[in-house]
Amino acid sequence: PSRDSALLTPHPCLQVSGASQSSESRKNSDPGPGAAAATPLGGDRFKIEGRAIVPGVKAQDWVSTARVLVDGEDYVGFLRTDGGFSVNDVPSGSYVVEVVTPSYRFEPVRVDITSKGKMRARMVNYIKTSEVIRQPYPLQIRSSGPHSYFMKRETWGWTDFLMNPMVMMMVLPLLIIVLLPKVVNTNDPEMRKEMEQSMNMLNPNPELPDVSELMTKLFSGSKGSSKASSSKGTRPAVKRR
Amino acid sequence: MAKLILLLLKCILLCGTVYAVFEDQVGKFDWRQQYVGKVRFCHFDAHMQSSKKVLLATESNVFAALNTRTGEVLWRHVDKTGPEGNIDAFLQNGQDAVLVVGNGRFLRSWETNIGGLNWEAVLDSGSFQSACLIGQQGTVKNVAVLKKTAISLHYLSNGHQKWIENLPDSDTVDYQTVYSGGNSEVYVLGVVPHSHIAIVAFSGDDGEILQQSSVEAPWLSSIPESCQMVDQDLLICVDSTTMSLYTLDLKLQLQLNQIPLQSLELEVDPDFRPSLVSHQPNPAKQPRSEFFLQLAPDHYVLLQFNNGQLVVLRDFKPALLVSFATTGEKTVAAVMSPKNKTASSINLFNAETGRRLLDTTLIFTMDPNGGKPEKLNVQAFLKKDDSVGYRVMVQTKDHTLTFLQQPGRVLWTREEALSDVLTMEMVDLPLTGTQAELEGEFGKKTAIQDGLMSMVFKRLSSQLILLQAWVAHLWKLFYDARKPRSQVKNDISMENLSRDEFNLQKMMVMVTASGKLFGIDSKTGGILWKHYLENIPSNAAFKLMVQRTTAHFPHPPQCTLLIKDKDTGLASLHVFNPIYGKMSHVSPPALPQPILQSLMLPFMDQDYAKVLLLIDDQYKVSAFPSTKYVLQQLQEMASSIFFFLVDSNQGRLSGYRLRTDLSTEQIWEVALPTETQKIVSVKGKKPNEHVHSQGRVMGDRSVLYKYLNPNLLAVVTESTDLHQERSFVGIILIDGVTGRIIHEAVQRKARGPVHVVHSENWVVYEYWSTKSRRNEFSVIELYEGMELYNSTAFSSLDRPLVPQVLQQSYIFPSSISTMEATLTEKGITSRHLLIGLPSGGILSLPKMFLDPRRPEMASEQSREENLIPYAPELMIRTEWFVNYNQTVSRVRGIYTAPSGLESTCLVVAYGLDIYHTRVYPSKQFDVLKDDYDYMLISSVLLALFFATMISKRLAEVKLLNRAWR
Repeated sequence: PSRDSALLTPHPCLQVSGASQSSESRKNSDPGPGAAAATPLGGDRFKIEGRAIVPGVKAQDWVSTARVLVDGEDYVGFLRTDGGFSVNDVPSGSYVVEVVTPSYRFEPVRVDITSKGKMRARMVNYIKTSEVIRQPYPLQIRSSGPHSYFMKRETWGWTDFLMNPMVMMMVLPLLIIVLLPKVVNTNDPEMRKEMEQSMNMLNPNPELPDVSELMTKLFSGSKGSSKASSSKGTRPAVKRR
Repeated sequence: MAKLILLLLKCILLCGTVYAVFEDQVGKFDWRQQYVGKVRFCHFDAHMQSSKKVLLATESNVFAALNTRTGEVLWRHVDKTGPEGNIDAFLQNGQDAVLVVGNGRFLRSWETNIGGLNWEAVLDSGSFQSACLIGQQGTVKNVAVLKKTAISLHYLSNGHQKWIENLPDSDTVDYQTVYSGGNSEVYVLGVVPHSHIAIVAFSGDDGEILQQSSVEAPWLSSIPESCQMVDQDLLICVDSTTMSLYTLDLKLQLQLNQIPLQSLELEVDPDFRPSLVSHQPNPAKQPRSEFFLQLAPDHYVLLQFNNGQLVVLRDFKPALLVSFATTGEKTVAAVMSPKNKTASSINLFNAETGRRLLDTTLIFTMDPNGGKPEKLNVQAFLKKDDSVGYRVMVQTKDHTLTFLQQPGRVLWTREEALSDVLTMEMVDLPLTGTQAELEGEFGKKTAIQDGLMSMVFKRLSSQLILLQAWVAHLWKLFYDARKPRSQVKNDISMENLSRDEFNLQKMMVMVTASGKLFGIDSKTGGILWKHYLENIPSNAAFKLMVQRTTAHFPHPPQCTLLIKDKDTGLASLHVFNPIYGKMSHVSPPALPQPILQSLMLPFMDQDYAKVLLLIDDQYKVSAFPSTKYVLQQLQEMASSIFFFLVDSNQGRLSGYRLRTDLSTEQIWEVALPTETQKIVSVKGKKPNEHVHSQGRVMGDRSVLYKYLNPNLLAVVTESTDLHQERSFVGIILIDGVTGRIIHEAVQRKARGPVHVVHSENWVVYEYWSTKSRRNEFSVIELYEGMELYNSTAFSSLDRPLVPQVLQQSYIFPSSISTMEATLTEKGITSRHLLIGLPSGGILSLPKMFLDPRRPEMASEQSREENLIPYAPELMIRTEWFVNYNQTVSRVRGIYTAPSGLESTCLVVAYGLDIYHTRVYPSKQFDVLKDDYDYMLISSVLLALFFATMISKRLAEVKLLNRAWR
């Protein structure tokens, strides 16, 4: 390989300093979307309120691991011992409010705050962002159950083996080959007529060769086997005669 | 129908690529360590005698409860980073903890037993000064918060405001402290520097000003630094210029009473600012009348007010730290005094008399590689015989917490420096003695000269050693199997540290912001060595480089840490052995000039250490190590060594070339106008990354060749205009050698923070779309086309064709904290993106979802290529979380390292917590899965074996029968 290829490594000292400075300055000067740039602290700041519920679990058992995140970590709220929460100091705008805990799953909610402080909660739809499906405000966020983090191990059992479509495909024809001659006396001419009739009924179109061919094969096979007794499965029939 | 097929196909594909953890794998190869950060406030839960809790409020904006028996986190609340989550004050009242957060913006009360919030109150704006609990008739019902211009009282039961009053003359007086001595009065103390103290007494019931006065104090500049409250509403201050103590009765407020230190036969160390330590065990009662006066860094005096008289109870010299503690009605003073170089002793003294309590000595052994003790937190308790017992939590300068009990038994230690890891590297472990012996047999040149016979003997003896090791291993297995599982510990120590079969266990070298370096075993998470670097500037930037790996036995591995002061640019080097943490005997060069850039060259000196180049602000280059051999090599290679510099303030990227005399020459410069945009990050590719396939096979069997430029830089810019209609994020792909701009893309109506991953022939970046108010991912892939220009080597200087650029964007339903790509040994395994989410999960997202060739409509060819049809939204599935419920708070970085197995990538996520795991992006294709069913395979084999035996026998019988017929 050419020599200039690997001789170049970026220098984190320089980059990091540049990156962190700029991100800090951005955060300081940006009060959030929709907010007037000159909003004084405590002027147009609002409170998002709500309650998170895990059905069947006492709030005390899970609130210590939970947080309320508004637009990522832009604003953070904590849960009270009864499951209620309030996120203070939020300027007007539109936010995604999410209750986060490692044990339970909560759906996020979008909350719109007008510059006058009117609140509206709606479903989060990232694709159609303007679509409004109203949800109650103050928020009532109900958990839809525990998180599923794990995959099920593929366990091996006899039923799995037997219910496998490949095995079924192999076993069923075998059963038919073995059992059909026993159950139905194919030498009975009436019976044969009846069967042919039913076959024709089932298969009125003679141009479909597959099934009829299979059937004829099956019949001829069983006939042939009665003479040649080459097939293991038809041997009992031979013996009976 | 077509749709259905499509869906089915998608499902199959998804199932095929799903990587998830199985429940039985929990804790098998992953571990997590939770940290809280450097402790700012600490309270032992004292409302119950049997409590096992210590509450900590830290500088990382974390409020947590630790179990004092084990040191584990019981619960933890992580607030926003930065000043908005800063914990200003921590007051404890029974089982409630009251915090003032965000420069006095919030007042929060926590229920410490379950770790839930009682209430949160928003306070009026104004910068926070002080807070205290207000007691009345022995019970505490209110909390007072002092701001610059106002004081407010709040009920502890619900946080509601009782009253708020403006402070008189707040424009001239700097109010600093609020105090209540257990009666209903609330005193606010302010100072006009070098003039007088202003005292305002409020009525606790309605906020009425009861009294207001000012007392001359021309020597005083700050009350919290030089004054304390003791005894009955008595303010006591110390001044070093007049060498005196001053007392002031707040009730009478007549004048300061000067007590020269000479009259107490005390003397302040010159150049030392004396300070006071007092103690108020119950906010509803007055403070103790005893207090400590610090006269020198190692000199404390215990003083007491006795009926208006100041009495010296005891002189402590030398004493490093002092602390008061109260249990029941007894108050004790704990004093730590140095014993010898590595140990100090802590003793308890009766606070009232100054007498030493018998049998209370505790020996604290200091880590020679750690910092000096900084703070002493004493948990006192009454023993059965009514004497005072105690445990201490010692905080040291390197952010370590050590919890000890008598007579010096360490119950636990916590390395809180690890809550702030800045950078890390993973280093292969060395080979064991036997492995090294074997290697040495082939490596040494002298062996060949020894002759045939000796070589045969060597061979045999090394085989014998191997056999011996194997037998020992078997014996250990057998021995361990008999013991109950809980007793079998995988004790990793320096002695048995060695590389495993698949190189899955490595040494994690972590550099923390405090300047403490750690060596952590990646298998267990145990800290194997630590080294505290003193005198690290607070805003230092670190760069850790592995100069020599463990592969060059007998040369020891070598890591170099570049420490750079961000303000001055001055740097220093710390060279150490990453396996043992010891400082290397190689002396690093002194760097008198500010350093702009450093780069590791791929060639080594005669001792197999890679050469490190440092470029100073005069654009002069120095090499480390700088032996004659290295300099000669450098001269030969100078024409092919290029480097670049980024100046984000001036918006300039410039490329330089090395001359043979180690000076440099600028060859290109790209200027980005700083009025409109600024450079936020520049990402190159990882030097240790391997790309296995040169191209992608298309559905029509042709090959689309990747544009694999190792010198490519991804430069991300953000607009300075942050208006949501006009803000944009730009990405520029520049060749770092020639300065040629390969591609430029602008994302309009977008803003940062931008997270970028740059690898192989693709760049993935994430930004915030201000128009649609969502996070979006964008992927850029570069292809050479259907033909490769020069397939044998890549040179930036000879690449006439412009690569084809493909780009696609997706919606991501969460913001992200950090992003990294998996890395494997040979690059055969498919790549995943590891995304750290604010919720603490680490999502493993297959790169195949971020593929600009995803078609809108699936065609026969795209299906053959395994392309998933385009869908705008990427999913977050909790099954894809590599850390299941082991959330990692505030992920700052994700480090990926290849292991010896191609399928396996080692992952370390660090932030407030540290989490290590292994991921298998393409599943474990090169080893048997850990759920491999040995029983089934052996039973099937056995069954088949018997079936053949039986059928053979039957066939024989049949043949025989036929022959007889």
